[in-house]
Amino acid sequence: MESQWLSLLDVSIDFDQSHLFFPRIVTWILVILLAVILLTRYRLLVPGLKHAGRVLAGREGEFDRKRFFGTLALTTVYFYMMGVLSDVFPNTGYSFLICSIVFVFSLSLLYVGQLSRRLVVIIVLNALIAPAIAWYVLAQLFRITLP
Amino acid sequence: MDILSHLTPMFFGLIAAGTLIGIIFGAIPGMTATMAVAVCLPLTYAFGLENGVALLLGLYVGGISGGMVPAVLLNIPGTPSSICTTFDGYPMAQKGEGERALKTGIVASIFGGLFSAAVLFFFAPVLADFAIKFSNVEKFLIILLALTVIASLCSNLLMGIFSGVLGVWLSLIGTYSIMEGGNGETRLMFDFMEYYLIDGFSLLPVLIGIFGLTTVLLDAETGFKGDSEHGRISLKGGKKFSFGVFKGQLTNLIRSSGIGTFVGMLPGVGGSAASVLAYSQEKNFSRDSSQMGKGAPQGIVSSEASNNALTGGALVPLLSLGIPGDSTTAILIGAFTLQGIQVGPLFIGNNMDTWYLIIIALVIANVLMFGIMYFAIRHIAKVIEVPKYILYPLIIMMCVVGAYAINYGIMFDVWTLLLFGVFGWVAHKIGLETVPLIIGFILGKSAEIYFVKSLESYGNYSIFFTKSPIAMFLWVLIAVSLAFAIYLNIRNRRQPEVES
Repeated sequence: MESQWLSLLDVSIDFDQSHLFFPRIVTWILVILLAVILLTRYRLLVPGLKHAGRVLAGREGEFDRKRFFGTLALTTVYFYMMGVLSDVFPNTGYSFLICSIVFVFSLSLLYVGQLSRRLVVIIVLNALIAPAIAWYVLAQLFRITLP
Repeated sequence: MDILSHLTPMFFGLIAAGTLIGIIFGAIPGMTATMAVAVCLPLTYAFGLENGVALLLGLYVGGISGGMVPAVLLNIPGTPSSICTTFDGYPMAQKGEGERALKTGIVASIFGGLFSAAVLFFFAPVLADFAIKFSNVEKFLIILLALTVIASLCSNLLMGIFSGVLGVWLSLIGTYSIMEGGNGETRLMFDFMEYYLIDGFSLLPVLIGIFGLTTVLLDAETGFKGDSEHGRISLKGGKKFSFGVFKGQLTNLIRSSGIGTFVGMLPGVGGSAASVLAYSQEKNFSRDSSQMGKGAPQGIVSSEASNNALTGGALVPLLSLGIPGDSTTAILIGAFTLQGIQVGPLFIGNNMDTWYLIIIALVIANVLMFGIMYFAIRHIAKVIEVPKYILYPLIIMMCVVGAYAINYGIMFDVWTLLLFGVFGWVAHKIGLETVPLIIGFILGKSAEIYFVKSLESYGNYSIFFTKSPIAMFLWVLIAVSLAFAIYLNIRNRRQPEVES
């Protein structure tokens, strides 16, 4: 009797399909958990989404859209340009150096509150010196691969 | 003695540099020890394992310790683990005892750090020897237990479990490795993604994205409101520190260090839990807790001893079982893999020199942390004035280096960093728990191998329950952790009702 019950738990794994065996189980658990979360929180879901939409659109809350989306945009352009320039200067790290100088300068300008001549000088020096040091130490001294 | 050949000036210099950089990171509100390790990881690519680990352990110890500086001077915990330091540190600073508060915390920190290093030294090899006997079944159950414990200690059990399973799912993207006994086929992706994701997402770009870029995005959306000098207190003048403040504090020191070490061993629980637990125990058991919360040194002692004790505790499951104890050790696991070392039950036995060097590095990092912070605290305190508009662009720049260099120059890893940086921000907004997600991501592939190999060997699901007394005991622990989580959830739900 006991062995009959145990035989219900028998399993054989086809080697050709073995790469899907565990992911299928995990995917099902994930779907079930998601369904439970949605069912237990459905009352909060729609108002929550509406609130998030209003915050992102800048109609509600204290969401700094300029700095948030600016960070995302600058980071995306930084990564993209680094890839493009690394084809022009392969295996030298120049792409990293050039793009980092522009990126650090732009992002610092985006983040700083009120600009003054002193602050601009600090930001420019920081944008020139820090990436140059990073490039020299990592690419030249330590021979670490840079874009 | 091979080990002596590794104790070079470079080794000690890297620990000192790591500790100092870690203290600076920890002292800046919003920047954590995890971020320090993630950002400085590329520097270790140029070193061997021993020197790389020396730097990383210095960063870890320094990062945790530095958190007390803004906790005392600004009433803002520099790292989550120094949350309870604010309760008494800031009131002391307001009374002109800022330097006394910081030095009390520094002494408590070195006690906690050395206590946990001793526990690590004696306990990890014993645990590893025991774990060597584990079959695939027990190894799978250990991972299941780790994920259950992490999820059960999250603020929301369901979201904790979902996050852990999502982490496992993400780790399965890519090829079912032939090296691990798989069939070499890809899964969980479209055909056009195979070029990029044939080996899945690399661990370190994922970690750097979630702990580096996400932090920047979360601060950017607030417009850097915390980036001000509001509430800052000077260290000049006031009552001087003396070691007499520790009179009658030995029990507190030992209990808090013990709590910190134990909490560190539990995967994913984190330093804030250690700090809160040690603080509340001191409040419950001390003869006079009436001044706690108003500027009592004993509160700082409990908080700082416990959070520094976390460092050695978190290394116990990492080095003996291959399971990271917290988010920082999750990055350390990546650093070990990078150097071709697989942490787990065989690690200590097969790498005795490295093991001793880790202990030495941990002890030296604590001693250096004490020396640097005790004698230079007035200078270190100035770090909190460094503005984020200078720091954050540099952090993103260093994140790029870490992600790009990890696989010797793959641009997709840099995009992975951005993808998971944004994902981490979204996860934070919708209430997903980062730590179970990361631990699930790290352990997911191993879980698959142990699970499938167990079933291929025994051909029946019941083997997970009947393989050995250890397997049954692990199921009991899993059930207890789930029951505890459900109890906590019900209690937390009832409390607001009672209060209202």
